[in-house]
Amino acid sequence: MNKVNNPCLNYSTRLKTASVLVHKAIEAIKHKDIQKRNLIWLELTGCSGNIISLLNGANPDFKSLASQMVNFIYDNSLMAAEGEAAMEKLYSMTGRDYILAVEGAVSTKDNGLYNIIGRWKGHPVTAYEVIKEFGEQAAYVIAVGTCASDGGISAARPNPAGCIGIQDMLDRKVIKLPGCPCHPDWFMGTLAYVMLFGEPETDNRQRPLMFYSTLIHDICPRRPYFDQGIFASKLGEKTCMFKLGCRGPVTRVDCPIRKWNDRVNWPIGDNTPCIGCAMFGFPDQMEPFISYDTT
Amino acid sequence: MIKTKKIVINPVTRISGFMEINADIDNNIVEDARTEGLLFRGFEKMLEGRSPLDAVYFTQRICGICSAAHSVASTMALEDALGIHISEQGRYLRDIIHGCEFLQNHIRHFYQYTAPDFIKFPEGNTLFETDHTDFRLPQNKNDSVVGHYFDSLEYSRSAHEMLAILGGKAPHNHGVFIGGITTQATLEKISRLRSLIVGIRRFVCEKMIPDAYTIAEYYHEYFSIGGGYGNLLTFGCFNGYERLGSLYVKPLEYSEGKINELYPGEITETVYSSWYTARPETYMPFETIPEPDIKKSGAYSWVKAPRYRGLAYEVGPLARMWLSGDYRNGISTMDRTLARVLEAKKIANIMLTLLDHLIPGVEVQKEYDIPHSAYGAGLIDTTRGALGHWVKIENQVISLYQIITPSVWNLSTRDRNNLPGPGEKAMIGTMIINPDSPVELGRIIRSFDPCVSCATHVYSKGNLIKTMQVVP
Repeated sequence: MNKVNNPCLNYSTRLKTASVLVHKAIEAIKHKDIQKRNLIWLELTGCSGNIISLLNGANPDFKSLASQMVNFIYDNSLMAAEGEAAMEKLYSMTGRDYILAVEGAVSTKDNGLYNIIGRWKGHPVTAYEVIKEFGEQAAYVIAVGTCASDGGISAARPNPAGCIGIQDMLDRKVIKLPGCPCHPDWFMGTLAYVMLFGEPETDNRQRPLMFYSTLIHDICPRRPYFDQGIFASKLGEKTCMFKLGCRGPVTRVDCPIRKWNDRVNWPIGDNTPCIGCAMFGFPDQMEPFISYDTT
Repeated sequence: MIKTKKIVINPVTRISGFMEINADIDNNIVEDARTEGLLFRGFEKMLEGRSPLDAVYFTQRICGICSAAHSVASTMALEDALGIHISEQGRYLRDIIHGCEFLQNHIRHFYQYTAPDFIKFPEGNTLFETDHTDFRLPQNKNDSVVGHYFDSLEYSRSAHEMLAILGGKAPHNHGVFIGGITTQATLEKISRLRSLIVGIRRFVCEKMIPDAYTIAEYYHEYFSIGGGYGNLLTFGCFNGYERLGSLYVKPLEYSEGKINELYPGEITETVYSSWYTARPETYMPFETIPEPDIKKSGAYSWVKAPRYRGLAYEVGPLARMWLSGDYRNGISTMDRTLARVLEAKKIANIMLTLLDHLIPGVEVQKEYDIPHSAYGAGLIDTTRGALGHWVKIENQVISLYQIITPSVWNLSTRDRNNLPGPGEKAMIGTMIINPDSPVELGRIIRSFDPCVSCATHVYSKGNLIKTMQVVP
């Protein structure tokens, strides 16, 4: 299932990017070369699928992240505290050093009241307010997933909740890790990189080049079929998915190398087209996802 | 002593999505309680005008923890609309994917979401600091469950790895589609799936089920807390196979102490207490998609209220295990948790049976024509309970898409008869030992495994009207 005959030259090195960085960060913390940083993870207007994806991280896993790499201060899905006590942990970070990870878009309709993340001193706190309050002050802001990066499916037409990506709310650089969901390696690797070296090199859409510089189509294992004009006419076939609407030719991310869930598979490996979930404009600009008559 | 007090818990953490609990207590007893979802995206509106085939991948984005459930319900609705009969092998493959999600979800719900209510983590990690002190397990048992909290990550991850072997990736798989799935079972895949499921099953049997019973032993009063109505409902799942018959449960409901066949045509949804307008106010799923209306008078929440023959029903693992006859100990907070962990074992066994009946290399995909106009329903029990997708197609695009999720059943609001939703009902009447630290309410609500991401409701600050109606 995990084929090594991939057309990428640096295949084995690139597979290890995230784990090498994370292990290096953990070692540096042990040797007191760098300090553990505080991490706030905000789930905003989305499906909370990126924190679930983070739990799928394998090497190293969530336990290493939470126990050896960062002080995990806040996350709605995982923290033991609830109610006001949970919000106190978030607000205890005001004026302190922290890295902010955000999943989900920001709902702007009706003063942001379509997404309340908690109550602080009796008042409802909207996603809109919390991103303003904690986004500007963070040491780094990492947009995790397509909704936080560019609005994503939460902003799909007619955009009933008036969703926007977090960069549109902030007058500062946001590092974007689009993908629906974000691959755990992309987040873990980026987090380790900023702790070790500061901001990683990014492209013109603020995506770290170490994960987002490859066009899927260029290293797709089914590229030979494309070059020979052998196209699948329905899902389930083992040839090129281009005529079914594959967005590999426009999507920049390293899925063909990294694959998903302990590297066992990925959408094209599952005989389905890439739907461009890591792309600006997903989903509206990437549809139809599946079409039998694109010729 | 405090006589009356209002309790507000927001955020209710360790659930998927955003929720507030509002409770009025009098002499330490919960007199009234409300559950409110705090997130609105409007998927049903977004789906209008899109290609029907895209609904399968689109609707998965409703929820990050139960995305495969939406792919299954959406696919079934499309198959119904397109008049496609799924092959037996297609169903086995799709149901194995669905089973992977049950296991991922149940393991994470028990260890990452439920257990921190009852076990104390070592000091020094902000994520695990709590605001109450009601921890009762002896040190060695407590530490054992804490260890399993972290050990469990390997197994929930394995469940998603299994899902990806057949479905491409998880969350948000590509494999579930009309006709079953998009790939074929190979001998290599089947043997890898079997090896992973055996490992998961062993963890569930040797660690998760004993841990749940350990917690139950030290928190015994939770067998008499959080019962609610006792009305249970399932759309059925892992049933109706041509060759294998039923491996789990068929569509059934339980009310007034009797189990009855379920007639899905009797399901209605009402927006009586919700910030929506719909004509009629109580409607069948195919009839209408309500329009948001935050100025509606008399409404107090944006949570809709599905009903079966006019009654509110609890859905989820306990409902299924009760209706299938696998678990009949009782209906309470702790019974929900026990039914969930026991169901994980049952699902693992079902998946082993399905794996035994897979034929390698069978291709189930075809090219599908979209009819000019059609409609179809996909009703299936998923991790959290009964999930329904209803689709109408006009001019070859989606003209109406109705979704009623399990958490809408469990967190539903009051209807015209003033009946609270099952989650609200389960909290009402509970004794709160320490009103300044009302740990009971979170424990009751989490036993339902609420998913507010799925419930997609709206909340409005200026329009929250406190209802003080007397509950019948």
